[in-house]
Amino acid sequence: MTAFLASIGYDRWILHVLLATPLIGMVVVIVSPPAWARVLALIVALFELVVSLGLWWAFDPSVPGMQFVTKVDWLPMWGVSYYVGLDGLTIFMVLLSTCMMPLLVWGSWHQIDFKRRGFYALLLALKTGMLGVFLAMDLFLFYCFWELLLIPMYFLIGIWGSSNKLYASEKFFIYTFSGSLLMLVAIISMVWIVGGATGTYSFSYDHLLAHRDLLGSAAPWLFTAFALAFAVKVPVFPFHTWLPDAHGEAPTAGSVDLAVILLKMGTYGFLRFAIPFFPAFALSRTVSALVVALAVTGIIYGALVSMVQPDLKRVVAYSSVSHLGFVMLGIWAGTVQSVQGSIMVMIAHGISTGALFFLVGMLYERRHTRLIADFGGLAKVAPLLATAFTITAFSSIGLPGLNGFIGEFLVLLGSFGRFPGATIVATSVVVFAAAYLLWAVQRVFFNPLVGPENEKVRDLNFREIAVIAPLIVAMVWMGLYPQPILRRTEAAAVRYVETVRPHVQPTAAAPVVTAEAHP
Amino acid sequence: MSPFDLMSPMGATMALLPELVLTGWSLLVLLVVAWRHETEQDSHLAGWLSFLGVLLAGATLGMLWLGGAAPLGPTHMIALDAYRFGAAALILLSTAATILLSLRYLDRQRLLAPEYYVLILLAAVGMMLLAGAADMIVLFLGLEVMSISVYVLAGFDRFRRSSAEAALKYFLIGAFASAFLLYGIALIFGATGQTNFTLIGQHLGSARLSLMAGLGLAFILIGLGFKVSAVPFHMWAPDVYDGAPTPVTGFMATGVKVAAFSALVRVLLEAFPAAAYLWQPVIAFLAIATIVVGNVVALTQQSLKRMLAYSSIAHAGYTLVAVWAGTTLGAGAVLFYLVTYTVTTLASFGILASTEHVGSRTILVDDLEGLFTVRPGAALAMAICLLSLLGFPGTFGFIGKWYLISAAVAQGQYILPVVLVLGSLVSAGYYLPVIMAMTMKASRTQDAHRQVTFSVAARATVAVAVAIILVFGVWPTGPLAVALDSAKSLGAATSGRR
Repeated sequence: MTAFLASIGYDRWILHVLLATPLIGMVVVIVSPPAWARVLALIVALFELVVSLGLWWAFDPSVPGMQFVTKVDWLPMWGVSYYVGLDGLTIFMVLLSTCMMPLLVWGSWHQIDFKRRGFYALLLALKTGMLGVFLAMDLFLFYCFWELLLIPMYFLIGIWGSSNKLYASEKFFIYTFSGSLLMLVAIISMVWIVGGATGTYSFSYDHLLAHRDLLGSAAPWLFTAFALAFAVKVPVFPFHTWLPDAHGEAPTAGSVDLAVILLKMGTYGFLRFAIPFFPAFALSRTVSALVVALAVTGIIYGALVSMVQPDLKRVVAYSSVSHLGFVMLGIWAGTVQSVQGSIMVMIAHGISTGALFFLVGMLYERRHTRLIADFGGLAKVAPLLATAFTITAFSSIGLPGLNGFIGEFLVLLGSFGRFPGATIVATSVVVFAAAYLLWAVQRVFFNPLVGPENEKVRDLNFREIAVIAPLIVAMVWMGLYPQPILRRTEAAAVRYVETVRPHVQPTAAAPVVTAEAHP
Repeated sequence: MSPFDLMSPMGATMALLPELVLTGWSLLVLLVVAWRHETEQDSHLAGWLSFLGVLLAGATLGMLWLGGAAPLGPTHMIALDAYRFGAAALILLSTAATILLSLRYLDRQRLLAPEYYVLILLAAVGMMLLAGAADMIVLFLGLEVMSISVYVLAGFDRFRRSSAEAALKYFLIGAFASAFLLYGIALIFGATGQTNFTLIGQHLGSARLSLMAGLGLAFILIGLGFKVSAVPFHMWAPDVYDGAPTPVTGFMATGVKVAAFSALVRVLLEAFPAAAYLWQPVIAFLAIATIVVGNVVALTQQSLKRMLAYSSIAHAGYTLVAVWAGTTLGAGAVLFYLVTYTVTTLASFGILASTEHVGSRTILVDDLEGLFTVRPGAALAMAICLLSLLGFPGTFGFIGKWYLISAAVAQGQYILPVVLVLGSLVSAGYYLPVIMAMTMKASRTQDAHRQVTFSVAARATVAVAVAIILVFGVWPTGPLAVALDSAKSLGAATSGRR
């Protein structure tokens, strides 16, 4: 396979094809008749999927740096280039995104029954934006993709969302926009500070990283600007309030995209930019304490609030706040295990939360309600749906043997040496996690079957099985045999740890866990 | 092209060729209009004739610009550099677009007085003189020619009370501003004995300004501050923008601003380069006040035109951030931002003009509800314009804001850029509801928006503008290079500063 890919020059064109195809698809969808929209979108999605699968083999796990790199001048007078690449941090985000794409189209097949052209065109535009965020290695390009995402998402929520869509879409836009605007100033400032000292004005990631020491006293401000942008996106408690609204009101495809990719952009931003650029400040004792405290608060708060939500979709939304708290904890612990764990949580959360949103969407299509109180005993009439939901819920709460467990376990293991107190608190929360989702599952599927509407609920049809089955297979596979994924992320995790290690503050409880100490 | 001797009649004529062509042409149109001023056909004839005149002026301008026209020795009266040509080209662009957008609008509003186009041409002449002035006297002359024509244009809709109110208000406050400017010029002349920018700069040298010269500078800043509608000199703008016929509002929001900002940059950089210690804090204050007030007040507006008026105040504030820098980079950023702002604003006012119907009250944001379903093209174009005004990546406006921020950051200034982006954030609060109303809300009535029709000319203008917004939003290399080159030509006075 590797030889075949090399023979067709796969590594030279793959990233451009991945970025360009959805955009071309978008134009084609817009100019075609509305009835073709979903078919065309599915074709584009399947094409992206097939093409992207080659990354699995073409990606060299032993290389810690960027692969598939292309750098072409874009605005030479400003030092802006079209600079894209892929490494162990991002390969699974890209694969997750391309794998989800056909499922999104397939899952929206009947649900979207008006303005189809617009819907699928925006879905495709969103895809380019998402891939671009993970692939861009030039900060100008990164910022463009980062912001571009907002527009399709804004319209997806605002046009195809449910009852309170206008409020949710505007809130989503304003929150995320406000976070990123300060990052814009920070990016430009960094380039001018570094450029003023070195004489080279460049937005290239490598250039800025290599000269991060020149930022000096500006670093705390710059970090704060970056961190705000990313923290809103993650979302870190207390910046999370847009998330339940956006998730709750978005159409299924929008919720899934939000959960699978958009939230990961925040944690990715910390891993790639905010911490490596300003490690001394980001990992200083005060900032670490603050972030870890917020992360643990998020873990607990998300779980507790999730438990009392009457709306099934908001239950899932708040559980995201909780899961991403684990990611933040792992990132700040800064050990190879915890960073790999964070990446695993990012992937696992994408799959299981994505699946949960699909399932909630299917329930909504049947009953036109998402209130837990309206359901009951659905397992009797829809056993397949109930089974799928239960497995996914197990995966989400981190049952050993399913994918959620691996990541959370690695994060807790890797973080214990650095933040023992926080880790113990976070571990205890896994109990809450079990409670909030299982309780919801019990009330929806296993209580006595009441009400004529609930008796008429039909089970999954072929299309819905085709959407959910791949996700469940992935959950089981990742849970039982995560090695191929860990192997591909390890080099990048080690590189990240080495980049920031000189600045990790040793704690009283344990010395810094170094890369070498990792078995 | 050999350098022009500006002291010789021939050289001066050549240097002023675009303005002269336009003046002559406007007199010609006036003559034609004296016979033909009855029907729609007459109005259209005058319109297309004027458009032709703008094209001719543009051709002579292109000849000068591409021919690399340069003065022999020091410049007298009128500058002969790329910065003037860039600003003049932008003014002509705005004029041409305004003419095209007015054709159908005037028919529809029954404003069949073809003198309208003559006034537009004369205002354009004034703007070009203002933007190209190298001497205080020409500056004042240009300002007055421009202002008086625009006063009349603002009150052109005789059937609407608000239009008359706008004209009177604009006239009174404008006269006040002109008086300040003139007094400032007199004080500067008293302090230096010069009216030429470069000579004033040389005379003042690097010493601290005397009280008289300082006051003169302050009065000139006030006078130009009125024209760019910087807070606290902005009070006239919302009423005037709201009351004037919509294409005229677009013309005022773009052409007048381009001219006034170009003049401001030129005066500050050529006449007062060493007094930056004095004017930089003032400009910084004006910028912050303008951004804050413009954006915050725009949030509360229901009328679309008023909202755009306040937003244009906010944009003047953004531009002032680059004026503050006082560098070549800053001057380039000002010119570039004016390009992005002009293109975007013209397109949005063009759409607005086509959305209005006969004798209607001003359009409220709510009136656009459901526009997308009936007129998807118009709604899409409007959305792109608003996103560009918001400074969203992928649009021209984003590149412009990026450039403005860079100009300030390059001077180690961080407060102004932060205020700028926070202002942009607030602006999302009033741009988004418009997009939301157009795309996400259902129209109120069955036959809403059926009357929204675009003439071919208006359609072409808006389409070209939107195409520019998108293409240059992704590939701005060309305009960036032109803006920077133009800024570099801004006199030797700037050479001392980066």
